[in-house]
Amino acid sequence: MFLAINEIKYDKVRYSLIIAVIGLISFLIFIISALALGLAHQNTAAIEKWHTQSALMTKDANGNMGQSLMQKSDIDKQNLTKSEALVGITPANVKADGDASRDSVQYIGLRDQDYIYQDLKLSSGHLPKNNHEVIIADTLDNFKLNDKIKIGLDDTSYKVVGITDDALYNMAPVVYGNLDNWAPIKGVTDQFKASGIISKNDTQLKAASDQLKAYNLKDYMNNLPGYQAQILTFTFMISFLILISLIVVTIFLYILTIQKLPNLAVLRAQGIPNRYLILNTFNETLLIMVISVAIGAGLTTLTAFFIPDAVPVYFDIPLMSLIAVGMLITGLLGALIPMRIISKIDPVTVIGG
Amino acid sequence: MTTLTLNNIEKTFGSGQNKVHALQDINFSTAAGEFNLILGPSGSGKSTLLTILGGLQTPTSGQVQINNQNIQDLSKKKRENLRLNEIGFVLQSYNLVPYLTVADQFTLVDQVKPKDNISKDDFESVIAELGIQDLMYQYPKELSGGQAQRVAIARALYANPSVLLADEPTAALDSDRVMQVGQLFQDIAKKQQRAVVTVTHDVRLKEYADHIYELVDGRITQVQ
Repeated sequence: MFLAINEIKYDKVRYSLIIAVIGLISFLIFIISALALGLAHQNTAAIEKWHTQSALMTKDANGNMGQSLMQKSDIDKQNLTKSEALVGITPANVKADGDASRDSVQYIGLRDQDYIYQDLKLSSGHLPKNNHEVIIADTLDNFKLNDKIKIGLDDTSYKVVGITDDALYNMAPVVYGNLDNWAPIKGVTDQFKASGIISKNDTQLKAASDQLKAYNLKDYMNNLPGYQAQILTFTFMISFLILISLIVVTIFLYILTIQKLPNLAVLRAQGIPNRYLILNTFNETLLIMVISVAIGAGLTTLTAFFIPDAVPVYFDIPLMSLIAVGMLITGLLGALIPMRIISKIDPVTVIGG
Repeated sequence: MTTLTLNNIEKTFGSGQNKVHALQDINFSTAAGEFNLILGPSGSGKSTLLTILGGLQTPTSGQVQINNQNIQDLSKKKRENLRLNEIGFVLQSYNLVPYLTVADQFTLVDQVKPKDNISKDDFESVIAELGIQDLMYQYPKELSGGQAQRVAIARALYANPSVLLADEPTAALDSDRVMQVGQLFQDIAKKQQRAVVTVTHDVRLKEYADHIYELVDGRITQVQ
């Protein structure tokens, strides 16, 4: 570390520029990751809150719970346990009584005997006591407790009796209400009783009818409209950024090493062991990467304070730490070529002969 | 007593029609307390000879012995250790690490060789003799050519080598400095009992040397 620290201290401008570039790439990776997670979270926050492990819906819904229509006969064939819940999910518009403006939501109908209803945590208000009471997501800030609202195609007025946080499904805030109201809100006949079944059991749900199909959590989420395309896009962006950072680190270290070759050759002539010089490059890279990633993380934290609420960012500390470690490893991979060059230095070159 | 011996050294580069005899039939020996000057024009094989003396490359044939130990028989790592412990190099340029202060040039030696370097008293005396005691916190780019060369000599001596090899050490120096370096190498040989071998084309160093050799077209002749 002795040579590495002295070299960085001596050549402050050059190393500051390198650190700034890698720091900004790290910042970009963190922010894009937070954005990707934020958007993913907006799709799946409710699903995660239900501790979902698998889902069951009609086969022709093609994995999209919002398109699934289960009949009573289908439901009766499934012997629901305490860790399974019937849900009726449908996209809908919500408007206050007498107000023309509408908000897009996902209406999720629940039965009061099912675990999802019983596990609902409210930030204010109470659980619905009758059919025409609902709970809304806190992101629906146009509405407050005791407001009367109209949902979807149903003309009935519903009273907001509770507010819950982190309630988002497929990019829209959730309105929880009674399952019996799901059909009129969706605008389907009452022969359809629910969209599907959610299970928090480790054992995957099994379809009791050939009209139904079970999905594990991953497949269930991947079938949410737009979810997989969104995740893949961000994964590609993050992968390319990490690849770019690898190339940038390699180029910087390669140029630095090439410029230092005569000095390194003299040190080799003087008997300074190869492993000492290689370890120095390793340490130098580690130092550059640690400082750069720390700067990237610092900028990300700072940005998090100023980012508007409308921007869906989500900072998952364990995942961010994993990305930071990935960046460090990437940087060290970038040092492999310079380290190989150092291992091949011929001290004779500096003396000639 | 330290001895450095070359027996029937040949060094060729290339093969067939492109074969070049850089060194031919070189026999040379020196011991602690001797300052040897090897003079020769450019292309005479001086640098090749120096790299063989220092164990940086092996001869095509012949033997290089330091304290009766064949360098060719040593592994790469042992030759590296030998260079670190027994041989000090003073080169024409790039001698000093540009991003280390003068003081840190010595710390670097301590980093890789914590033991058996010269004592603190000897170090004080070496830097005083070289007149570099006031340059300790300066970087190489802040030094003149002469100052840098003196620091390089001190750095080479710091590891307490028994042999000091110098390649054109006076190339960048004016006449006054050449004389100082000549005197210094003589003192290093006599007072510190080290074997000093300098390859150069600078004849101004002749008056300080115990033995003078001429290297012409890869063949060595003792002239004094």
